[in-house]
Amino acid sequence: MNTDEAALIICAGIAAYATVRILLEKNTLRKLPFLNVLSFAVAGSIALLLPHPLSIIAAAAYFIGSTLESNAIASTYAGGIREE
Amino acid sequence: MMVDPLHILIAAAVSWINFVTIDLIFRLPQQGGVSGAREIARQIEDGGGTLHGGYMMGNIVSSPDASAGTLLAACGVYIAGIPGGILAALLVYVGNRICHDPGYAGTTGALFATFIVYGFSLLGFSPAEFIAGMVIAILTIQGISAVYASRLLSILWRWSRA
Amino acid sequence: MNLILAAIFAFIAITGTLGAIIEKDPFAKLISLSVIAGGVIPFIVDRGYLDVAIAVAIIAPLSTIFLLFACRRESS
Repeated sequence: MNTDEAALIICAGIAAYATVRILLEKNTLRKLPFLNVLSFAVAGSIALLLPHPLSIIAAAAYFIGSTLESNAIASTYAGGIREE
Repeated sequence: MMVDPLHILIAAAVSWINFVTIDLIFRLPQQGGVSGAREIARQIEDGGGTLHGGYMMGNIVSSPDASAGTLLAACGVYIAGIPGGILAALLVYVGNRICHDPGYAGTTGALFATFIVYGFSLLGFSPAEFIAGMVIAILTIQGISAVYASRLLSILWRWSRA
Repeated sequence: MNLILAAIFAFIAITGTLGAIIEKDPFAKLISLSVIAGGVIPFIVDRGYLDVAIAVAIIAPLSTIFLLFACRRESS
């Protein structure tokens, strides 16, 4: 197995592990760090799957989008807006 | 090039040191940057962690910091060498501003990581190993136990302020 | 992308869907949507559709953010 494949398997494996941890965690806000790990792993996978300069932009766009989304979820949760 | 597990572990350790050091220098554990980060820190503290470690973990979730900079710089160097790393640093800078974060932790982390990864590539490491290494590094902080990670970060924060 | 990687990313997408169904907290459902996007985007990239991948990577989180704005307006 060469280096690129090994790195991809590691990233995909960590992404799968993070997904399982998201499902198992009961507290909603404590799920967000695991979602962060998933974003890192998928951003790394994007760059490893297709080494093209546009992939850097794709990985960055995905990661920043995911960060913005997590931030929005955490901020809205913190604002106390919850449907009882 | 055959995969060498030792290379990946060394890359993970170097990435870990790079992003934690730069985040500590930019005082991420001092306070929550946005309300989302503060809320995450509070929940981590309720779960048994410590507040300052929780602030840093919340800040990592809410905005691209040195960890994101290191990962994207490694991707950039993997694809396009040093210009790729600098492009990644620019994208991280833009991402910081989009997330209303006035800091430079992400950009600095990306620039440092660009040159570190390029330097290691001259020693025989592949930048792909740094991509996997950085994902492993963030797993140890955000992905195993929020309680122990926040305690470790709080201890490092106290050391860095002493 | 070989079979193992495809299986792993498919597992991520399916787990996200399961989470969206099982979770009770609406915010946890939104997190599951993010997981689904994370599982699907590598397939798009693997086929070479980088522009589509960038579009999905921007639109999916943006829809979640607009959804949160809409909920906030309704409640306040």
